[in-house]
Amino acid sequence: MKKTALMLAVTALAFASTSVFAKGDPVEGKKLVYTCTGCHGIDGYKNAYPNYHVPRLGGQNEQYIINALTEYKKGERAHPTMRAQAESFSAQDIANIAAYLSSVGTGSEK
Amino acid sequence: MSRSSVIYIAAAALLFAFGNASAKGDAAAGANKAKPCTACHGTDGNANQDQQYPRLAGQYADYIARALHEYKNGERSNPIMKGMAAPLSDQDIDDIAAYFSSQPGKLHDLSHMKK
Repeated sequence: MKKTALMLAVTALAFASTSVFAKGDPVEGKKLVYTCTGCHGIDGYKNAYPNYHVPRLGGQNEQYIINALTEYKKGERAHPTMRAQAESFSAQDIANIAAYLSSVGTGSEK
Repeated sequence: MSRSSVIYIAAAALLFAFGNASAKGDAAAGANKAKPCTACHGTDGNANQDQQYPRLAGQYADYIARALHEYKNGERSNPIMKGMAAPLSDQDIDDIAAYFSSQPGKLHDLSHMKK
């Protein structure tokens, strides 16, 4: 029984740690994503310095976007503009943004 | 020619050189070098299996290259990607970036939101 209880506890912990973020709401996410289009909404747009294209985000995987924004927020990724943006977001904001970006189409589909 | 115009021309030339630094990858060579990446990112870079890994297919090559350099030099801290990027040369990085960028995929920019 003791062993079973331990296994249950481990399972519960594993479940809890994967559910840290509440489920994202794409409708709320869309409101926040308008800011992102300043850089991510121009085809072929490049950072001034260092000089490389800002990434395409439409259709990107949901959990990856959550990971990336959380890493910017915690300073584990260095880009100054992205750090400034991500610092202002709550975990729920990040989940909402990821829900929207991962599901958004190009606007050309029916 | 004034001194300041010489400086301007030199600066413009430098900017031009850096701006084109991404066009040197060989996608065919990259296909082979990218084999270890495909376990998580998918054979064509579409990462359909697991949402925690980014889709790379159709991403800008210079962005992929930049990310690999950041993992390699520690500017991005990710234990898996640090290990993957560590043995790659600059040429390897450009080739792998060219390969994934050339693959068809779902990624797109957000320009439609401005219409």
